[in-house]
Amino acid sequence: MHSNRKGDVMLKYVLKRLGYILVTLWVIVTCTFFMMKNLPGTPFDAERFSIMTPQQQERVLEMYGLNDSLPMQYVKYIKNMLKGDLGTSFTYVNQDVSKVITGRLGPSALIGIQAVLIGLAIGLILGILAAWKHNSGIDYFTMILAVLGVSVPNFVAAALLQYYIGLKWGALPVGFWTGWNCSVLPSIALSFSATAMVARFMRTEMLDVLDQDYIVTARAKGLSQMKVLMRHAVRNSILPVVTILGPIVVNLMTGSLAVENIFSIPGIGSLFVDCIKANDYPVIMGITIFYAAFYMLIVLLVDLAYSLIDPRIRLAKGKES
Amino acid sequence: MKMMKAAVALGMALTMTVTGASAVFAEGESLSVATDFEIKTLVPWAASEENAFLVLNQAEEGLFRMDENNQPQPALCDTYEVSDDKLTYTFHLRDGIQWSNGEPVTAADFVYAWLKQMSADATNGYSFIMTDYIVNGQEYNEGSVEASEVGVKAVDDQTLEVQLKSPTPYFLNLTTMDMFFPVNEAFCEEQGTNFALSPDSMLYCGPYVITDYDPAVGVTFAKNDNYWDKDSVAVEDAQVRVIKDAAAALSAYQAGELSQVKLDSANVAAYKDDPEFSQEIDFRTSYVQFNLTDDVMSNVNMRKAISLAMNRSALTDNILADGSAPGFGLVADGMSGDGEKTFRELNGDVSPYDPEQAKEYYDKAVEELGSAPSEVTLLVADDSVSKSVATFIQSELVTTLGLNVVIDTKTVQGRGELMDANNYQFAVTAWGADYDDAMTYLDLWTNGTPYRGNYNDADYNALISDAKTQTDDAVRLDDMLKAEKKLVEEDAVVAPVYHRGSAVLTKSNVKNLISHPIGVPLEFKYASFE
Amino acid sequence: MDKSKIDRSMYQKAKVEASEKEHIAAPASTMLADAWIRLKKNKAAVVALFILIGIILLAIFAPIFSKYSFRDTDYNNVYGLPSAAHIFGADQFGRDLWVRTWMGTRISLMIALVAAILDLVVGVLYGAVSALFGGKVDAVMQRIIEVLVGIPSLIIVILFLMAFPAGVGTIIAALSITGWVNMARLVRAEILKLKNQEFVLASQVLGTSKFNIIMKDLIPNTVSVIVINVMFTIPSAIFTEAFLSFIGIGLAEPQASLGVLINGGYQVLRMYPHVLIFPAIVIVLIMVCFSILGDGLRDALDPQMRK
Repeated sequence: MHSNRKGDVMLKYVLKRLGYILVTLWVIVTCTFFMMKNLPGTPFDAERFSIMTPQQQERVLEMYGLNDSLPMQYVKYIKNMLKGDLGTSFTYVNQDVSKVITGRLGPSALIGIQAVLIGLAIGLILGILAAWKHNSGIDYFTMILAVLGVSVPNFVAAALLQYYIGLKWGALPVGFWTGWNCSVLPSIALSFSATAMVARFMRTEMLDVLDQDYIVTARAKGLSQMKVLMRHAVRNSILPVVTILGPIVVNLMTGSLAVENIFSIPGIGSLFVDCIKANDYPVIMGITIFYAAFYMLIVLLVDLAYSLIDPRIRLAKGKES
Repeated sequence: MKMMKAAVALGMALTMTVTGASAVFAEGESLSVATDFEIKTLVPWAASEENAFLVLNQAEEGLFRMDENNQPQPALCDTYEVSDDKLTYTFHLRDGIQWSNGEPVTAADFVYAWLKQMSADATNGYSFIMTDYIVNGQEYNEGSVEASEVGVKAVDDQTLEVQLKSPTPYFLNLTTMDMFFPVNEAFCEEQGTNFALSPDSMLYCGPYVITDYDPAVGVTFAKNDNYWDKDSVAVEDAQVRVIKDAAAALSAYQAGELSQVKLDSANVAAYKDDPEFSQEIDFRTSYVQFNLTDDVMSNVNMRKAISLAMNRSALTDNILADGSAPGFGLVADGMSGDGEKTFRELNGDVSPYDPEQAKEYYDKAVEELGSAPSEVTLLVADDSVSKSVATFIQSELVTTLGLNVVIDTKTVQGRGELMDANNYQFAVTAWGADYDDAMTYLDLWTNGTPYRGNYNDADYNALISDAKTQTDDAVRLDDMLKAEKKLVEEDAVVAPVYHRGSAVLTKSNVKNLISHPIGVPLEFKYASFE
Repeated sequence: MDKSKIDRSMYQKAKVEASEKEHIAAPASTMLADAWIRLKKNKAAVVALFILIGIILLAIFAPIFSKYSFRDTDYNNVYGLPSAAHIFGADQFGRDLWVRTWMGTRISLMIALVAAILDLVVGVLYGAVSALFGGKVDAVMQRIIEVLVGIPSLIIVILFLMAFPAGVGTIIAALSITGWVNMARLVRAEILKLKNQEFVLASQVLGTSKFNIIMKDLIPNTVSVIVINVMFTIPSAIFTEAFLSFIGIGLAEPQASLGVLINGGYQVLRMYPHVLIFPAIVIVLIMVCFSILGDGLRDALDPQMRK
């Protein structure tokens, strides 16, 4: 009875949030669509386009659906989008936008996931150690790292890493993509902010937990330090880390724009920047939709996970971040 | 559902990336070069970028192929005849030439590809390279004549006949370009919109076949066993890799991952004395285009002053420092003239540096305009070299003339659009020769479009049209020499700035990796390892 | 049982001087003054504050007192190494990097300032109005926020920059689309909490206008939330500009933003590391200082948050 009602609330909440996501997506699609048409230039090499015959120019515009009026183009785009068709790329001749994007998912996902894993692993260890040895060397080290991690711009970190580890030391390949070993440095570069955020958050949570009565009780019972730490403290403070996964993923998305460009990774981030420079409208639209939807779903998932973990959080209020 | 799909796709992509990683580039002696842009398309009538030409030139072949002296040598064509009026070319194809699937390459394959390039389907903007020369090409492009009336015909499977509008001494050079390569009609139509998207959706008739193609990663080649001249192809495996960052490319070269690498200007000084170092000049000129309908730039003395005020050698020596040559003329250094001397040697410096004279012209211009312009706006593209050039021009004009320049940076596309819309004062732009003849440049200023500064001069146009119909090569050359002098020196419609050069390092064991200053940049066919 | 045992005479009326009634034992201390005292005890925050002040002064005065301008070229000193004349060396055109770095810092700080003002004006007002008016106004305003919050801001900023001419104005306009949303949400939540407290009720009963309630009662009490949030908005605005300029779609030559300078240095890192190092150090310093100062302020303004 009780759990059923809770399930209803949950379902209602998820539906409501999904509704917002759709509205937001529509706003983004609309804004992007009209803003993009304001981008300087055409998707074609102006020098070449200017020497085409009028027939050819018209043919080209027709091929890319650019000869309709703007509202008509918009209506057509929305219609096709609802059918799941994001159109054909202008610069990747004859290739579907969805194919162009999914073709780039692999490298982006690989470095993204690796960066999260590195961030979680190192961040958790540092956070736990820092809290356990409060005010010790490792604690100060962690705090310094946490400040640097969030304040050194990721493109500076990536550039230095590429140069000193990749080029000077020659340890790992940079600048092209031949597989996993090329993903190591970018993943590390990308993981800095995640490491910093996790370490800092974990340290705070742990300090909180270590102050709680049940820890004091456990210690009083004569449990060994290690057991207290692992069985009670870590277990109770690790779950809330889920709540900062949202901001971490968002950071990774912006970070990937810089890191992918610096390391020449054939991922979504570098595709996005390239396509903006080349005025490839359909791909720009596609990536914007993809990024926005991904971002909002992650935030939703994190909120749900949060409410499952910590029943004190009421869903209706949402999360203030 | 959508999420599910995305998740599955993601998972698949991930496994593919990880497992497929080591197989992409095989070990062993393989020729590997880098390109700094993605290879976005290999469809011949859609590709307009140099790196696509680079790839297609290894995997396909036309009637002729350039040799190390930039002279066209018979390739798929065995022999040819030219009529006395120099208007009809008859090409006889080699015996036994085959596509990679074993089918014969026929004259009809050439006709299909050429017609496609001349049709409105061609989106690369290169239709002119055929329609300007081939009878009824322009009309076919505009849709007013049928394909059968165009001056390119397959007489039989091995004979191709081409009718030209006017005598064109460099027509054989044109046939080495990728737009003139054959395409198998049946195969292409069967592939439809998938044509040339993957290694399987292409047929090859060149020295190599493509085994792997990813726009963002690069292209892997293997020797083509069906190639007519496979015995002279020494290198078995080759790659073109996308490496966008020059510094990364250099370290890949040092790590032995690349056979050749281009140096950017900051690194040239450090490698100048290296035995692997060499410099080349491309047939490509960067120049300032003045807009003749602009209030300030319509003044010829102003234009002359600006052109004379630029110390081009300082730019090429100190800032670019990559082997580029100062632009003392529009037609690039090294382009052919009368067969003995180059065009540049024959015509001398038509855009020299002379600060005193520049100042005189400037004072005259200010007098004629009534007052000195408070500032002028220079339109440039947003790549780092263009920005460097713009910053150089800005500082030269302010120090020599006291003329303030505002730099307006736009994407390449944005710059082009503004120029097309006649919405600029003067702009930095560039033209790369499509063939080794001065006409590739001089022809551009006859159409009077805003992109070409609205220059519409009867005398100039007369010189060009005479050169185009002239059968006497000496008169033709003289017309073009005069035309360049008029365009650059007398009317100062453009101010050439520099001719692009490139500094490269090549591994000492790589021999005969030939590069051309025009069109196709590199030839893998003749290369070998020592 | 015997009530009469307690006699009135057992009590004596206390005598309190009227003046003493009004006496306050400790000097009146506002919240900000308290915070300042606490902040001063935080050594790291104080150091960060001084470094920031130093950077601001250098950004203002270094270009004025240098004999070079940020656009003077000198082809004899291309990529010149740091020397007495050029403290940070010279770039590709022989331009003085000392001046260019501080010019770039000016741009970064200007963007930070505008972002902060925007946060303060739009964000705070939006949140306050939404919370105070409540009802339908709040509902509508919250729906708008729900939509805006879902937008990945960097994407919108990038598109905005491509669609309009590159420049400081465009970057600021782009940042302003979504930059204030977080502040509005925080302020609203804080005010909702305060709104039902007695002192606000008292103000209302006394007939204070809504505007005055916002300005005099509510906003001063949300100041800690506001200040803390601003301290996190500023570095993210600085970062966004530098980031966009670095990937080549922000500011452009001859403007010397830190992102532009770092990008220029990155291209030649192999041969001329000094071109990258100095602007990179400055931007890292700015970010680190704001971050430490932000932490310090949070501890100072909101002692319960202190860990």
